[in-house]
Amino acid sequence: MDKRATRIGLGQRQARSVARLSRQSWRALASRQEIIILACLVVAALVIGLWNPNFYQATNLLNLARGVSWFAVAALGVSMVILVGGIDLSVGAVMALAGVLCASALHAGLPVPLAILAGVAGGLGVGFLNGVLVARLGLPPFIVTLGTMGLVRGVTVGITNGAPLRDLPPHFRALGQHDLYLGPLSVPLSLVIMALLAVLVSLLLDRTILGRYIYTVGRDEQALRLVGVPAASVKITVYVLSGALAACSGVLMTAWLGVAAPTAAEGYELEIIAAAVIGGASLFGGEGGVLGVVLGTTLMLVVRNGFVFLGLPTYLQSGAIGAMILTVVLMDHLWRRRLARG
Amino acid sequence: MADVGNDSDPLLYVSGLTRTFGTLAALSRVSFYVHAGEIVGLVGRSGAGKSVLAQILGGTLAPSAGEVLLDGRRLCWPFSQRRLGVALIPQRTILAERLDVTANIFLGCERGWPTGLGWLRVPDRVRMEQQAAAVLAELEVNLDDLRTPVKQLTSEQRQMIALARALVAPARLVILDEPGALLSYSYQQRLLALVRSWQQRGTAVIFVTGSLDHIFAITDRVLVLNEGRIALDTRTDSTTREEVVAAQIGHDERRQLTPIIWALESYYQAREQAERLRLQQRRLEEDLAAQGSLNQQLVTQLARQVHSLDQANQALQDAQRRLFSQREEERKHLARELHDQVIQDLLSVNFQLEELEGAALDSADREALAAELAEARASVRALIDDVRRICGALRPPTIDSLGLGAALQSYARDWSARTGIAVHLQVGPEVGRLPEAIELSIFRIVQEGLANIRKHAQARTAWITLAAVSPRAVAVTIEDDGRGLPGHVDLAVLARQGHYGLLGISERIALLQGRLRLTNGARGGLRIDVEIPHPRVTPAG
Repeated sequence: MDKRATRIGLGQRQARSVARLSRQSWRALASRQEIIILACLVVAALVIGLWNPNFYQATNLLNLARGVSWFAVAALGVSMVILVGGIDLSVGAVMALAGVLCASALHAGLPVPLAILAGVAGGLGVGFLNGVLVARLGLPPFIVTLGTMGLVRGVTVGITNGAPLRDLPPHFRALGQHDLYLGPLSVPLSLVIMALLAVLVSLLLDRTILGRYIYTVGRDEQALRLVGVPAASVKITVYVLSGALAACSGVLMTAWLGVAAPTAAEGYELEIIAAAVIGGASLFGGEGGVLGVVLGTTLMLVVRNGFVFLGLPTYLQSGAIGAMILTVVLMDHLWRRRLARG
Repeated sequence: MADVGNDSDPLLYVSGLTRTFGTLAALSRVSFYVHAGEIVGLVGRSGAGKSVLAQILGGTLAPSAGEVLLDGRRLCWPFSQRRLGVALIPQRTILAERLDVTANIFLGCERGWPTGLGWLRVPDRVRMEQQAAAVLAELEVNLDDLRTPVKQLTSEQRQMIALARALVAPARLVILDEPGALLSYSYQQRLLALVRSWQQRGTAVIFVTGSLDHIFAITDRVLVLNEGRIALDTRTDSTTREEVVAAQIGHDERRQLTPIIWALESYYQAREQAERLRLQQRRLEEDLAAQGSLNQQLVTQLARQVHSLDQANQALQDAQRRLFSQREEERKHLARELHDQVIQDLLSVNFQLEELEGAALDSADREALAAELAEARASVRALIDDVRRICGALRPPTIDSLGLGAALQSYARDWSARTGIAVHLQVGPEVGRLPEAIELSIFRIVQEGLANIRKHAQARTAWITLAAVSPRAVAVTIEDDGRGLPGHVDLAVLARQGHYGLLGISERIALLQGRLRLTNGARGGLRIDVEIPHPRVTPAG
């Protein structure tokens, strides 16, 4: 009972942000997790930079930005799934599948846009499968996406016989490696693509009827059912979007690495979910925003990057990320309890 | 459209509808039809399957068997109600807690642009807010801010939002599941008015309710569910409260009394049966343990009901006692009246006659004798008038022969002459003859109301209106321009202070299952609003 009350406590705050985004967005924003994450990000960057000024070198920052871009694209999709109260463990596998499909298409001589479409189509298909199994048949999302994760990984290895696909055309590699020059700044193309996708997702969530339903289905599915809005279709749409965004992420990753390995992005799903949670998406559904997801992803990658610069052993990385997730969830929980009491 | 017995195809055709939960049949082979513009009341005890039926027709629950045709088209579950023109207003309002009032009213039928994009449309907030404000104003719901998240609203406001949904998207079939439970009296009246306006627009309404008043006030037909079956399906005009209640309870309760043991052929069979029974009992006990919490709830609910019954009983006993003492009071009054007036007068007439007897013996002065006789006759006439007045107070003489309106008219005239307070009586032409008990009660209510005005109001004018508010209810209003009420009125407090006038009115109304409202009227004084339901009105000849 208490738990439920605390959740509703935050709901009000979020409801306002959904209902009045135009005017009061800054006020709602100030009280949200994004600000805390941003502060953590600044502190982490300062500490790492003081320890090892090489952190601020242009090549490192550019690499960091490229990593953030494809990581964040996948996290956007997962955060939407979390919004509707589900989970998507298959994103890592879908990233690899999309990369391999795209590379195969390029090897078959297809032009770059069509090859990208092939990769994204694979993601759409997996997302649709996830959505139908979860929403229409009512299976638990954790089990379903765990299953499709294994299935997709298996199919990906099967397509390539386990060998990575190399020799991708430079046109395609430019997508992940090319930089745009905005005055004195050089901005990775992939970061621009990520920003574009983030704006699209943000518009979808905050400015459309579908976005309204996505926010509602996570918490008040009964209310939607009562007025005859097919909640299952909303969920399927979200899983399809998650698959498509994971595929986009896989394409960007492949273009950056220049190679499509069937084992790529293995284990990334947990980090992507972690990034979404750190950024403010609640695993109980119904909460979260695009900005938080991008910031959460950035924080996670900065910390990971920082471990290298601080000369700490890599096995501590996963420990630190785990600790970060727990801290954020705990803070979120305490904050909500205070809200519910106040 | 309101004509029910038309030959056109029904809007809703339900046949063989069955829904089971595990082994429990919540609905079994329910069939009925509803025409456009028809109000169908659905009643039954709790657990009879009313809400299940409402949910199935509202599209939120799929039936186990049977079919439903809406406008001749078969429904498949789950369906999009708002697209089909079906609106379900459930017993417990479920709203999207994080969305604001407008978003909740339009949930599932958002206005947006550009058209044709479906879910990708951008909600047109301004238009929706204007429309929501208009609808809420129509419902007389006052909300300061349409952007309030709905979780801050009262349960009554939430229920009205659920009602507003049925107004922004015109529905062909509205299903109201116990809508009055959470609403106050005035909102209930608003709801009934709304249902009537739907009926005039040709919308069919299925009205699930526990209130027989509502059923007999507005419905065209009544369906009674008992243990998932239709126990009664009839026109409201041709049934009675007793019949509806009997159908709700069912007739097979008696059978359970027949001892099962008599049906057994021999002792061994009986023992076998006993063994089986023991097994069943053990299984039942296990079930019971599982249902412990449910039972707990039921027990507390029952205890609460028993408590309120006790209270009602107590009130009834009080009323009874008061009635007795009032009757004694009346008798005493009557006895005193007879003693002080009639008997004294008779004695004096007797005395006069005695004198006359003496005078007649002398018979010297014939003129004096004639004068004495005339005086005696005048006394007798006065006496007759007195007795007539006493009889009139006991039972209004005009009410039996001339009807309530005439009786009220003559009473008001007399009263006005006696007290000097002007009375404006207005009896609606549509009020015909009512059942005797109701006519008498209304007369007494007016009597007591006027007595109340004379004693307490310091008024110069009183207004009385009698009108039929619906084919099956009459309303009485008594208003004055006097002092009015100081503030909130507690009848119990008044009774303790010995003022029984208003309490007597309220008890009479309670006996007739009517409603009483006491307010300070627009003319300054107290305004008593009474609404009394009655079975039927025969038009005034």
